[in-house]
Amino acid sequence: MRKITTIADVRRHFLSNKEPIYFISATNFNLLGIGDWVGSFRHINYIDCFDGQQRNVFVPKEKFPRDFESIEDINNYLLEHKEVIDFIGSRADGESAGVAAFLMFDEHTEEVCKQLGLRVAFPPAALRQRMDNKIETVRIGNKAGVPSVPNVLAKVGSYQELCEVSQELGNDLVVQTAFGDSGHTTFFIASEEDYYKHAEEIEAEPEVKIMKRINCRGSAIEACATRCGTVVGPLMTELVGFKTLTPYKGGWCGNEMFAGAFTQEIRDKAREYTFLFGEALREEGYRGYFELDFLIDMDNGEVYLGELNPRVTGASSLTNVAAFAHSDIPLFLFHLLEFSDLDFELDIEEINHRWSHPDSVDSWSQLVIKHTDESVDLLTQAPRTGVWKMAEDGSIGYDHYSYHPHAAENDQEGFFLRISGAGDFRYEGADLGILITRGRLMDDDFQLTERARAWIDGIRGQYAGQSLQDPVVEEVAVSHAVGGGNFKIL
Amino acid sequence: MEKTLIFRTVREESPGAKWQSLFDYHWPAYEQWYLAEGERERPAYLACYNALRQHMPELLDTYRTLCDLAGGGDLAARLLSLYRPPPYITGCSQAVLARSDTTVLARNYDYPPELCEGTILYTNWNGRGVIAMSDCLWGVLDGINDRGLSVSLAFGGRKVVGEGFGAPIILRYILEFCDTVPEAAAVLARVPTHMAYNITVADAAGRYVTAMIAPDQRASIRRVPVATNHQKKIEWYAHALASETLIRERQLSILVDDEATTEERLVSAFFSPPLFRHDYRRGLGTVYTAVYRPRDGHAQYHWPGMWLKLSFDHFPEQQLTVRYGARGLNAG
Repeated sequence: MRKITTIADVRRHFLSNKEPIYFISATNFNLLGIGDWVGSFRHINYIDCFDGQQRNVFVPKEKFPRDFESIEDINNYLLEHKEVIDFIGSRADGESAGVAAFLMFDEHTEEVCKQLGLRVAFPPAALRQRMDNKIETVRIGNKAGVPSVPNVLAKVGSYQELCEVSQELGNDLVVQTAFGDSGHTTFFIASEEDYYKHAEEIEAEPEVKIMKRINCRGSAIEACATRCGTVVGPLMTELVGFKTLTPYKGGWCGNEMFAGAFTQEIRDKAREYTFLFGEALREEGYRGYFELDFLIDMDNGEVYLGELNPRVTGASSLTNVAAFAHSDIPLFLFHLLEFSDLDFELDIEEINHRWSHPDSVDSWSQLVIKHTDESVDLLTQAPRTGVWKMAEDGSIGYDHYSYHPHAAENDQEGFFLRISGAGDFRYEGADLGILITRGRLMDDDFQLTERARAWIDGIRGQYAGQSLQDPVVEEVAVSHAVGGGNFKIL
Repeated sequence: MEKTLIFRTVREESPGAKWQSLFDYHWPAYEQWYLAEGERERPAYLACYNALRQHMPELLDTYRTLCDLAGGGDLAARLLSLYRPPPYITGCSQAVLARSDTTVLARNYDYPPELCEGTILYTNWNGRGVIAMSDCLWGVLDGINDRGLSVSLAFGGRKVVGEGFGAPIILRYILEFCDTVPEAAAVLARVPTHMAYNITVADAAGRYVTAMIAPDQRASIRRVPVATNHQKKIEWYAHALASETLIRERQLSILVDDEATTEERLVSAFFSPPLFRHDYRRGLGTVYTAVYRPRDGHAQYHWPGMWLKLSFDHFPEQQLTVRYGARGLNAG
């Protein structure tokens, strides 16, 4: 094929794509709707959020409740499952079975893919692991001219040591370990007492990141490092730690994307930093999709690098639905392009310029709704995936089936992706589902709006469970005890 | 307490409807057994497939066909590979009598009758006729192929469990793809087992060996005509005592070492104690006696008062009911 030089070329190429491309993950949430852009695109998932209605989602029928340890674990389970292997094999062209993309994968995933004839469309797991290290992120940022919150990197063996190395940062500190999920490995330390709550975890690390605590807002931005330059998406706000959504303090629970999120100056700064960081990643050998968290200092408007997620993320579902994605192509298509054999030369600067324009960014929000009580029960009823409508009084009702967030046409409608369904256990931290809607769900003070609360209550109200004391439920619980089905969606 | 088991002879040259109905009949029980320690304890399908491909690649075509007949699902395919199945133990005695004019491999299968499939399967899956007592749906407890190669397994009396296959599939592999004792010995030395077994092999040329295989040590393959339920030294005393493995081994050794022992004398020794065992309550009673004659390709199965004589030319499909009581077994 001749060299690709325009967005139209890219679009045409992927629409007529014949080589199977898979997104293998617990659910298809992160890449909702990408199948509309890419021929032969299939999701291979553990959870069927669509009750069999979605043609391009493959879920093995024969499954066992399992206590998965991570998303890598789910993906490896899927890839070693006979039904999945037969499915991939049935669509393969000789030795070549196509392309696989993941949210998370490890070296074992790579080995299995090699055997199945799948090409992994991501840099090697080992490199990703290195990039994912928060300490490493600070160093790359420093090199690229992207500042982190004032910090020191050090091995800490005691509270006294912590105070000594962080003298210049003051008494109010935030300590982070190199790896960890949102809300799990960030410790706020203002006193000796705070320190002892987390001393064991901190002292086990060879090195931690110690930051000055600032009055900040969380933000997220996604980008893709290509050989022609880094394509940068819009800056989104992050929903963090809302008790009505997540039981994890400081845990991620959604995003908002809208043109006026933060001032023009902050947005420009974040985009510039993201571009610089993407170029630095390429120098490290990393390429493709990535996400950066920026901490915006509310006191002085400074933009600080928070962390790097070298992968597709929970925010990708928004990045890939906004107006700019539809007027050009979704960011993920740049990723597929980068990992294809195609020769391309695109004017990334022009694209970035277009995407930075406020008109390119229509407003979208998503809420990740988890079970927040400590209770455990067996779900007997769950809201279906599709478009739900909110009435004047704030009550919600099912409107119609769709797999695409765009089907929610206005502020009164929301696209709901059901994750926990009837027959699943509802336990603290379990993902119930994700709501994507047009417009904002937080106010300017970063508090949930009334509409957001009504949606959360409405969705929760659609779930019903049966207590574990019920003998029938108990029996199911015992048979589930073998596994447990306890994992999170990121 | 009385237990009943129906034995069937089933002849099906290529895998088909008959095997499928055997699978359907036994699957619920096997599924429960396979999941006994939790599904996660069992290796994934890909690991099972890879293990078969690495160690017994010639079996893959048959494996695939049987998986399809079993419905093409994940769990059934994993079980059928017999790669790292849940651990299990058995009793069993076996001996080879090799004389200038005759070779015979005889054995008692001591096990809970309710866990025995009771299927004597005549197949021709890989261009070789095989008559075998079936276990784990296509595995072999004992059997003979149309070149006369005969095999039998006994639990090795050790608790160790590791990476490898359940012995019944290794025996199936030997019958499908080996003609002689040296070929079978090479397989037994090479293919990993997940538990300790004593496997006795005899061929039409009068050769025989017993292989003591285990996941934690190299196979010991020697020209020993007798095997019960221990490997060299006793390691698991409780099992050794309950199964009387030393007494049975001694009895068999005396018999086969005695020049005066005839085929009839050896076989009839399997019908009475200490070789014949009545301990059905503890799952260590004798379920059947099998006698294979490698030189003329005959297989005989005995129960007190009842027997079946089968060969590659004469294999009528039939069934018979055996009752196992605490005080012995009554055929009926």
